Parts: sequence; C-alpha cells; structure tokens
Amino acid sequence: MRISVKTSALIAILGASLFLSACVSTEPSCMSPQTRNLDSAITAVQSNLSSGCAAHFDRYYDDLLTIAEGDPRPENKRTFSEFLVWSTDAGLLSRRQAEDYYNRFFNVKFMSMRGDYNNCSHTCPNRQRLLIEMERELSDKERGLLLVSQDSEGYYRADQLFNEVELVLEATCMACAAAR
Amino acid sequence: MTRLSIQLSALLLGLSFAVSAAANSPTIRLFPTTVVEDLRQTGDVARDMENGLQEVIGRLDQQRELYEQSKCDGAENDPGCQRLSRQIGATYLEMLTIMEDRLPDMEHTVNNTRQSLERSLRNELGRKMSSWTLQETLIGASEQGPTADSSPALRGRSGMRLSERFRQYYQLVATSGSQSDQSLAVLASDIYLDMDETSVLIERTRQEIARATLMEQLNQSFGIITPEMMEVVGGVKTILFGDEESRALVAGPPPGSVEQAYRSPLEQ
Repeated sequence: MRISVKTSALIAILGASLFLSACVSTEPSCMSPQTRNLDSAITAVQSNLSSGCAAHFDRYYDDLLTIAEGDPRPENKRTFSEFLVWSTDAGLLSRRQAEDYYNRFFNVKFMSMRGDYNNCSHTCPNRQRLLIEMERELSDKERGLLLVSQDSEGYYRADQLFNEVELVLEATCMACAAAR
Repeated sequence: MTRLSIQLSALLLGLSFAVSAAANSPTIRLFPTTVVEDLRQTGDVARDMENGLQEVIGRLDQQRELYEQSKCDGAENDPGCQRLSRQIGATYLEMLTIMEDRLPDMEHTVNNTRQSLERSLRNELGRKMSSWTLQETLIGASEQGPTADSSPALRGRSGMRLSERFRQYYQLVATSGSQSDQSLAVLASDIYLDMDETSVLIERTRQEIARATLMEQLNQSFGIITPEMMEVVGGVKTILFGDEESRALVAGPPPGSVEQAYRSPLEQ
C-alpha cells in the first residue's frame, strides 16, 4: 500500500513535468508572414501579435511595408491605418505610438519636429540633430508615400518641407544667436 | 539701367500687399513697415551703384578690347600701349572710387534691412513658435497644403546678383507669398541670409578697395595692367550683373498621380 502511494506521487510529478514541457513547446514561433499578399499578411501578423508576439511589432511592421512595396497602391495608406487602429484597439500600441508609426511613413509632416518649447531656446541648440532625424524620416516617407502608396505628390511636398525647414531654421537660429 | 529700381519698386508693392494681408488675419508679422522702408532704401542705393558702375565697366571692357586688338600683350614698352594701359588704369581707379563712395551707403542700408529682418525672425519664428508650429506654418494652414505651383522655390544664395534675387523675391510675393505665412517665412529667411552674406562681402570689399587703389596709383607711373586688375573687374561684374552659369536650378517634382484623397484618423 505504501509503495503504491509513492508510485502514485512519482507518476503525478512525471505528469506535471510532461505538462510543463508541453507548454514550452507551444511557445509562438513569431515567424514573418510568408505570403506576398498584403491583406493575407496582415491577417497572419494580427494572429501572431495576438498570440504573444507583440514584442516583434517593429519587425512585423517592416515586413508589411516590404510586402506592400511589391504591390504599391494609394489604398495601402488606408490598409496600414486600419492595421494600426486595430493594434491600438488590441492594446498593442498606445494612440500616440500608432500616430507615430502612421505619420512617420504616410504623412507629409515630420514627427521629428514635435516639440512644445520655442525655437530659440530648444530647437536651435539641437538643430543639427533635428535635421539628421528629419533626413532619416524623409527616407521613411519615401518608402511609405512613394514606394508603398504611390503618392509622389505627397513625397515631393515632404522633401520640399524638409528644405524649407532647413532654410528657415538657419535664418531663425542665426537671428536668435544674434541677440545673445 | 532702371531695371533694378523697377524690380525693387515692384517688390515693395508686393511686400505692401503682404503686410496688408498679414494685417487682416492673426498671422505672423515678418515684414513690418520698417523692413519695407529699409528694403526701399537698399533698392535706391543699389540702383545708384549699379548705374554708376555699369558705365565704367562698359568703358573698361572697350579699352581692354582695344588693348588686345592692338596686340599690346607682350609689347608693354610700346608708347601707344603704355598710353592705353594708363587709360585702363585710370578707368579702373574710377571704378574703385565709385565703389568707395557708394559702398558705405550700401553697407548701411543692407545692415538696416538685415537687422530689421533679424528682429522679426527672432520674435515671430524664434520666440513665438515651437518646431511643430513652425512646421504647420510652413506646410500651410489649408487641408490641401501647397501645390508645386503656389509654393516658393528655394533658390540658393550664391551665383546670383542682388537685383535678380530681388526680382525673384518680388515674383514670389506677388504670386503666392502675399497670402500665406508659409511663403513669407521662407521669403524672409531667404532675404535675411542674403543680406547677411551681402553685408560680409561689402565689409571685405571696402577693406580691399583702399589697398587696390594705392596699388593702382603706383602702377599708373609705369603704365602696367596687372592680372589683379582684371580679376577685380571680373569679380565686380559677376557680383553686380550676375553669373549665368552658376544660377541655381530648381528640381521638379517626381512624376506620378496626385489623386490622394484618403485621410487616416491617425493623421496629425
């Protein structure tokens, strides 16, 4: 009788171990979407993101952009916007993060230009860094506006805006410095 | 000869529209009346200097041509060539004298314009705006944003004479800038940087004129045309009357569809 209790305990421990190892083996693989169709890819990504792969959001977003580059259309803007709104509703992104993801790629305005303090005190001391960040963002806009959405007019405006900001900041910062 | 003054008058007219447009809405005031007045004075002085120098430089070109046609290069001891050299030297001195007379006024008015614009830019764009509001100003308040036709093209600031720059400023103000802060901000920045560059050049030129005058007075005794003389004349011509080859080109937009009506709820 005593032996059978010990045996039962061992069986229970063995069973628990097997159960735990089974849990480890079902960890999501978080693979990139294998299809070249954007809608199907978004469905796959949404499934993965909902199954514990939220930490891979950046990579998935990049994958989706690459897939969209293969089939550029003006409607892709809406597709990405809806995907980001879904991500917000699913609690994967904050509203602000979703705005950043969208506007950095699909809007003319530069998110690098976000700032609440006046130009003389805040923008001018960091002007070079800001321009470098804007230049990086412009290449993201080239991808989002030009290569994914075929919005060449939008990309041209962003490029022009970058040049204007560079000129106006040069003059404004020189004027600010002259007062010191 | 009166081209510059006409262009400047037109610019002032355009700026007056800009000022009145700005007065009708809560917009930035980058061109107050002081700036307009300073620009008018700068235009007057620039016109006087251009008028005075154009005739002398034309005469210098003719004398230089005659010198070359007479095959005086390498025959400096020939009495006729020496006389031609002295005539060229005298005209060159005349050019330096005109510049010496006009440059202080030019320097004064350019500096006034620069300082007025400096104050406007510092207050309106530097202290009253953040980087985000500056961007919103540049992109335009309208939902549509600027089109390639209505927005100002950046010109760059080198290789173009002052009067040509003023003509372009006028065109921008008259055709689009008069009704948008976006264009005025770019325009004010462009004029300010031009004025700053011009101010530095005038200061350097004034420093050099005294030395060049003394050198030429010495050369007059010997009837020598120095390479430096020709370089200076060439430089003055480039500054005043422009260098066609170095005119900045403005790139066009990439080709493609402009039918982009979708607006995301995430858009800023």
